[in-house]
Amino acid sequence: MKRFIRRIRPRPHAIAEPTIVVPAADDRAIARAFSRMRGALIRNTLKGLISSSRVRVLTILFCSAIFWVGLFLLFFEGFQFLSRYVALTNEIGEYLFGLFFLSLLVLLFFSNGIILYTGLFQSRESTFLLTTPASCDRIFAHKFLESIAFSSWGFLLLGSPMMTAYGIKVEAEWWFYAIFIPFQLAFVLIPGAAGAIGAILVANYLPRRPKTVLAVAIAAATVAGLFSMYQFFHIAQEYAPQDWMNQLLDRLEFSRNKLLPSRWMAAGVLASAREEIDQALFYLMVMTAHAALAYLIAAVVARDLLRQGHSRVQGGRSGRRRSGWYAFDNAFHRVFFFISRPLRLLILKDLRAFRRDPAQWSQFLIFFSLLAFYFVNIRRLGYDVQSTYWRVLISFLNLAVTALLLSTFTSRFIFPLLSLEGRNFWVLGLFPVRREAILWGKFVFACGVSLFTTEILVILSGVMLRIGIWMILLHMTTIAILCVGLSGISVGLGARFPDLKEEDPSKIATGLSGTLNLLVSLVFILIVVTTLALPCHLYYAGHESSEISGFVDAGATLPGGAVFRGRLALAIVAGLAFSAIATIVPLKIGINAFKKMEF
Amino acid sequence: MIELRGVTKTFGAKHAVEDLNLEVRSGELFAFLGPNGAGKTTTIKMVCGLLTPTSGTVLVGGYPATSSQARQLIAYVPDQPFLYEKLTGREFLRFVVEMYGLDSRLATRRIDELIEIFEMGDYIDDLCENYSHGMKQRVVFASALVHEPRALIIDEPLVGLDPRSARIVKDLFLERARAGVAVLMSTHLLSIAEELADTIGIIDHGRMLVRGTLGELRAATRAHMPLEELYLHLTGGDRPNATSRFDESSGRTPAESTTP
Repeated sequence: MKRFIRRIRPRPHAIAEPTIVVPAADDRAIARAFSRMRGALIRNTLKGLISSSRVRVLTILFCSAIFWVGLFLLFFEGFQFLSRYVALTNEIGEYLFGLFFLSLLVLLFFSNGIILYTGLFQSRESTFLLTTPASCDRIFAHKFLESIAFSSWGFLLLGSPMMTAYGIKVEAEWWFYAIFIPFQLAFVLIPGAAGAIGAILVANYLPRRPKTVLAVAIAAATVAGLFSMYQFFHIAQEYAPQDWMNQLLDRLEFSRNKLLPSRWMAAGVLASAREEIDQALFYLMVMTAHAALAYLIAAVVARDLLRQGHSRVQGGRSGRRRSGWYAFDNAFHRVFFFISRPLRLLILKDLRAFRRDPAQWSQFLIFFSLLAFYFVNIRRLGYDVQSTYWRVLISFLNLAVTALLLSTFTSRFIFPLLSLEGRNFWVLGLFPVRREAILWGKFVFACGVSLFTTEILVILSGVMLRIGIWMILLHMTTIAILCVGLSGISVGLGARFPDLKEEDPSKIATGLSGTLNLLVSLVFILIVVTTLALPCHLYYAGHESSEISGFVDAGATLPGGAVFRGRLALAIVAGLAFSAIATIVPLKIGINAFKKMEF
Repeated sequence: MIELRGVTKTFGAKHAVEDLNLEVRSGELFAFLGPNGAGKTTTIKMVCGLLTPTSGTVLVGGYPATSSQARQLIAYVPDQPFLYEKLTGREFLRFVVEMYGLDSRLATRRIDELIEIFEMGDYIDDLCENYSHGMKQRVVFASALVHEPRALIIDEPLVGLDPRSARIVKDLFLERARAGVAVLMSTHLLSIAEELADTIGIIDHGRMLVRGTLGELRAATRAHMPLEELYLHLTGGDRPNATSRFDESSGRTPAESTTP
């Protein structure tokens, strides 16, 4: 055979000149083709939604409207409160907006980077497009537009009520609202383009470790965040309020760095609020010029490195063999012996996928670490020596923040779980277990992971705030109720609205159904936290102020008061009832839909 | 039309393709055979410019495979067809012809012709998300042919096609090849290679083992046997181990069991 192989090998020869004359591809025609294709995609999608999912669309629009109004009122009250102490259009406003836009800058950088990495290097669409005459920068432009649209809707949903509330509060002119739109467009392009450059560079130079790179990048951002928090917590408490504020502003000075686009954005927004149109236009031009430059650089990088990066990612699949952790698996089987074995295996499958994806657990770990860091440092802020009323209030706020963070976890990771089974979905349907057991498996997995982390956090918060054992137990019950409810909502709605054709979890989470899941989760948190926090708040408010004690605390005696205990018991029962509804109803809907699903 | 010279592609320590030389001339239908993981798809992706060779040269019409000129000459049909789910088949075909800059009237005529050839009239104006695998594959074939490529590269051409569609596709391959198009297809179906191919190449572990017409392969290997036997002989053993190697009850291997 070796002799034969040698025989068939042709002799090497010099590269011949091209034998066929090929005219250059018409880039304008290609641009028009993309534009028409996008138009048809949007048209067909909208038509489909209107004809087949009218109720779903209306529900989502209705929930979004409620969410928008809620946010607007929240921001309006916040600005109202702040305006009593500081002028909103001055320095404080700049810090406030600077920090807000800086956070958005970081989030948009990561979300665009992740979406573009998947879209450019791992999707079958990009493989198809790379075999057509479309140039790499044209393909990049198409995917970039898609990524910006996907990653920026949150900015629109969060930014527009805030800016409207701010505009009304400072009595801004009409053009304040008009100019915010081009500001917003220019702003999202900068982190978007930076994220795109990052994604292309990772594909080219670290094609086998994209998730590790993401985890490291997020960890770096977290370290920066922790450092800022550390500085904030270490402002000496003995300063007078004015000096304390000055110290705080000094520590936040980084957010006003003149090289940061978030600073230009904040300065431009404030200038337009102050009706300084020349200043506002100046910052708008600075933003636009930098957005254009950032996009240009990204397009040049894509032109030169997109094809090479695609080749490296496609050819660079990790060949690592997964081993170890069997002790963990065995321990899991032993600890949860009371769960049926098929169900345990399903939970283990999800746990394995979770621990092998650093992009998932690193985000989860980092956000919860930040929160834990804050809780550990609570005493540095002197919260633990405040009155009981304030400590309980802060502890419930901490609980609400933990729950909000948990809802982003369940929306981002639990809701897409079933959709991500994708093409292999039929395998689940053919498993020798009852179909509902599959959903219960995912529900138990979600509950387990979220209970484990959030319970630790609320205990930490309670201990640091010295709120007492009974109050800590109440908080633990509340967060358990929230964990169970949020898991039920995400698993149930995920099964009711699966998107089996989408492979990118971030797109599933940010799609219409994902948004509905997030909105329902937020409403659930609001109801449960309010129900359980209100009796405590009123009780301690009554003890804090003699003026309202008669009103809110009628009949209640001091700690151990029967009326208070009765109200609290009622609140816990109501919270449990809400949780039961939030868990059972979506799960029931999901199980019914899953049972009827055809593969 | 398609030329690979001394092409090697490595993925880390693994050599997917090693020192591969291959030429597919205009009008030639080349069938690429080999076991799973032999390097067929990697070679095809290098010809399409999707993978960059670690060393060596890949040319299409004399242009480097990654150049825009090469991409205008080729059409690629992957084993897993890609279509935009929210476009209709006709809209997808229209998008492809616009990408290749075809004159609008000519494009409409070509699209209508192909709809008729592939018998897609019943569903071409439905959204692609409602298509079966075979329907999708037919639209993808139509999109590959609609701009009249000079080189047609197909990975597993008959996956998911019903017998009638498979016949249409096979006839079209032959018709295109006779019209001067270079056709490079990878397949596991030896009968297709036997039936259609002018030239057959058998690849294993990234190396081209044999290349030529069926007659030339037999002559070169001095093994006058059907293509299936020849293929199995070349790629590691005459008979795959489809049965247990050890009969537990008798303690004998199947070969021993058949021996009296």
